[in-house]
Amino acid sequence: MADSSAARPAAPSGRAAPAAPEAVVQLIVFRLGDEDYGIRIEQVKEVTITPEVVRMPKTPPFIKGIANLRGDIIAIVDLEERFQLRPAGRPVPDFSYTLAVEAPDYTLGLMVREVPRPVTLPVSLIEPAPEFVQDSGQRDKYLEGIAKLPDGGVIIVLDMPKLLTPAEIMRLPGRADEAASKSTKAAPDTAAASQKP
Amino acid sequence: MKSREQEYRELFMAEALEYYDAMSRHLSELERNPQDGAALNELFRLMHNLKANARAMGFVDMGEVAHKMETLFGQIRGQERTFTGLLVTLTFQSVDVLGNMIRAVGAGQDTADAKPLLENLDRLIKGEELVEARATQTEEEADADASRKLELSDLVYIPVKKLDNLLNLVGELVIDRDRILTLAAELGHPALEATARHLFRISDDLQYSVMDVRLVGVGVLLNKFPRVVRDVAAAENKQVELVLTGQDVQIDRNVLQLITDALLHLVRNGVSHGLEDAATRQAAGKPAIGKLRISALTERDDVLLQVQDDGRGIDTEAVRQKAIRKGVVTAEVAATLDEEGVWALLFEPGFSMAEKITDISGRGVGLDVVKLAIDSLGGRLRVASELGKGTAFTLVLPTSIAVKGALLIELDERAYAVPLLHTDTVLALPNDQIFAVGGLLMTRVQDENVPLVPLRQLLYAEGDEPLPRATRADLDPAMTLHQVLIVSYNNRRLGLLVDRFLRQQNIVVKSLSKPLDTIDLFGGVTLLGSGQLCLVLDVPALTRLFLAKRP
Amino acid sequence: MNKRILIVDDSFYMRTMLKNMLTDAGYDVVGEAANGQQALEMAVATNPDLITLDVILPDNTGLDVLKGIRQQQPDAKVVMCSAVGQETIVNEAIENGALAYIVKPFSEERVLEIVGSALQGDGTPA
Repeated sequence: MADSSAARPAAPSGRAAPAAPEAVVQLIVFRLGDEDYGIRIEQVKEVTITPEVVRMPKTPPFIKGIANLRGDIIAIVDLEERFQLRPAGRPVPDFSYTLAVEAPDYTLGLMVREVPRPVTLPVSLIEPAPEFVQDSGQRDKYLEGIAKLPDGGVIIVLDMPKLLTPAEIMRLPGRADEAASKSTKAAPDTAAASQKP
Repeated sequence: MKSREQEYRELFMAEALEYYDAMSRHLSELERNPQDGAALNELFRLMHNLKANARAMGFVDMGEVAHKMETLFGQIRGQERTFTGLLVTLTFQSVDVLGNMIRAVGAGQDTADAKPLLENLDRLIKGEELVEARATQTEEEADADASRKLELSDLVYIPVKKLDNLLNLVGELVIDRDRILTLAAELGHPALEATARHLFRISDDLQYSVMDVRLVGVGVLLNKFPRVVRDVAAAENKQVELVLTGQDVQIDRNVLQLITDALLHLVRNGVSHGLEDAATRQAAGKPAIGKLRISALTERDDVLLQVQDDGRGIDTEAVRQKAIRKGVVTAEVAATLDEEGVWALLFEPGFSMAEKITDISGRGVGLDVVKLAIDSLGGRLRVASELGKGTAFTLVLPTSIAVKGALLIELDERAYAVPLLHTDTVLALPNDQIFAVGGLLMTRVQDENVPLVPLRQLLYAEGDEPLPRATRADLDPAMTLHQVLIVSYNNRRLGLLVDRFLRQQNIVVKSLSKPLDTIDLFGGVTLLGSGQLCLVLDVPALTRLFLAKRP
Repeated sequence: MNKRILIVDDSFYMRTMLKNMLTDAGYDVVGEAANGQQALEMAVATNPDLITLDVILPDNTGLDVLKGIRQQQPDAKVVMCSAVGQETIVNEAIENGALAYIVKPFSEERVLEIVGSALQGDGTPA
């Protein structure tokens, strides 16, 4: 997916920086745990202060509930909890932001703790995630690649279309494929906090 | 907004055109067979209705022509005269004139002078000579016929998708309206409040107009059944007389769509299981031909669709035994069920009454598909049966699916909505009216023991394990009265312990979008006037969950 | 509680007009039947305070329906609706227990007057 847009230098995202001879990509970047994550801007519908969220029984804990976003009733997902990235003891913030991301036939809210920021960078900086990583862990399964910034920073670029299938979103961490890859899994403390089959 | 006069005019037109088509058809039948009593009766009735309706609308000439035609057909029916000769010519001519008059009304034009025709009809009725019996068309009439072909229909065909969209938009509007009304009341601004009230009325009218547009006659579905019944009867080697009634009962097109398969299933079931073969029937002293009736009628805001046969009736004991055998219910529970309780088992998944596999019903699906379809619409199913006499299944369906009456309850400071269709009673019970039996809390409601369960427990219990055994000690001692909502589903009552009752309210249910649409405990979500989101509980799913998890 | 009325007429137009008149006057129209069979079923299902019954129906005459209703519900209050020219039927209907008749086309005042007085009676024919 990363190389398909790289192959198209005249892609709309290129217009944002006409001087650059190289194809660029615009990301919305936010923090999960202690890392920076990015989503391609065309996959983000809007960024908003998280509206009132109503807890929905019978859903996994990382589904924070439902919220009314301009008449759309959307599910709000806590990606930190979903990917088990929240350091133990750090509470869910009272005040947060929500990225509304678009799946083919629904909208999903991703809850993030700090205000997301747009970042433009050359496509060439994104290194596709290696295949073997994609099979192993939870989060790694949904990576498009990793961007290494000139200042030494790292942005993990998420592959939204992959994450946004309803089955993937609802999947409990380590549930469906745990038989195959459980042995290498870490962070049992956070996993224990979530639902057990 | 449509005025009442306009509404009447449209109704009149729609019906008059229908009458006109039917008149032409029956007249041709009568011409082919002057002894056709049914056609004659219909012509008489159609003329009668057109007369009454035309007079009510103030269309004097049309009423007069129809009146005289009614009289004529009355005479033919009374065998005072025969349908021959000039009478035939004149009646065809009169129906044409009626058609022209109806079309003129539709186009807002004056109707042509009917005097000569009326005079001739009068003479005919009195048995006098006609002044001029024209067998051929005048030039003017030929012109009229020619120009008729250029008329555009007054009916517009609208794709259902567009109507769905319209209804959704109106739903949104109604939600915002309620918010504005709440805000206006909070602000206490008189002009704003007056405007909000006006908005309330207008959007109400709009909502009903949109719902109205989506209504179709049940006939569009019922009229497909003669063929179905014929085929099933042939395959089963049975003789069946099908009677359809209530084709003009109005129902939302999407409701009808959702219920199509269920109705098909019930009808097939009626022919293949309900009705006996001719020999069996005759041995039981019944007519050889079985009767199947599909009828529609309105009852308040609901539409009742009924499939009734005069067949063998439900053998309650056989159903009870089979349900035990199939593991649908335990023998202990089965023994406690009354007749209706046993019949309800027919609609449980995994139950299929046919012991013999036939082409028609041996398709691996049982009547549970019927129940599922009705549940999805928030409807109900009634069963009535008498052994040896027959069975009637009645589907109680909402006319429209846009607005639902609901009871709002509160749990942990959150509002939940429960559709009124499934709510039975609300009770405030003191401690001593609640007792514990076999790990379940119970209370008596109208001589029936009804299990009670804290809604909190049903909503939040994790995993598949049974609920913990309940004792009276579990009751919140701080509550002097326990708030109980008795819900009912499939003849089963269940008491839900809630924190408090808020109010009754009409809600517009929005379905949950992905990925949450798989959580079946919630039928959807609604926005309250305060802008607050409120989950709509699905009583069938709650009941099923309770049955699966009861200790 | 509002008085509950069942309307029997095979014309949708007539039913609508009658329903509007009655609803506006504060009655509850609890059902509408378009033929005799429906009328008999709905009379049982809705057990109305009053039934308005058209004299000509597709499957049955209004008179037969009247007899049927009176047979299954002897206390039912029935008002016949007829167009002019059917006085003989009307007389027979009254003999068979109808309380009154309304002549089509309806005038609103007349409908409400007849319905009102029929509802006040005790169910026996006038």
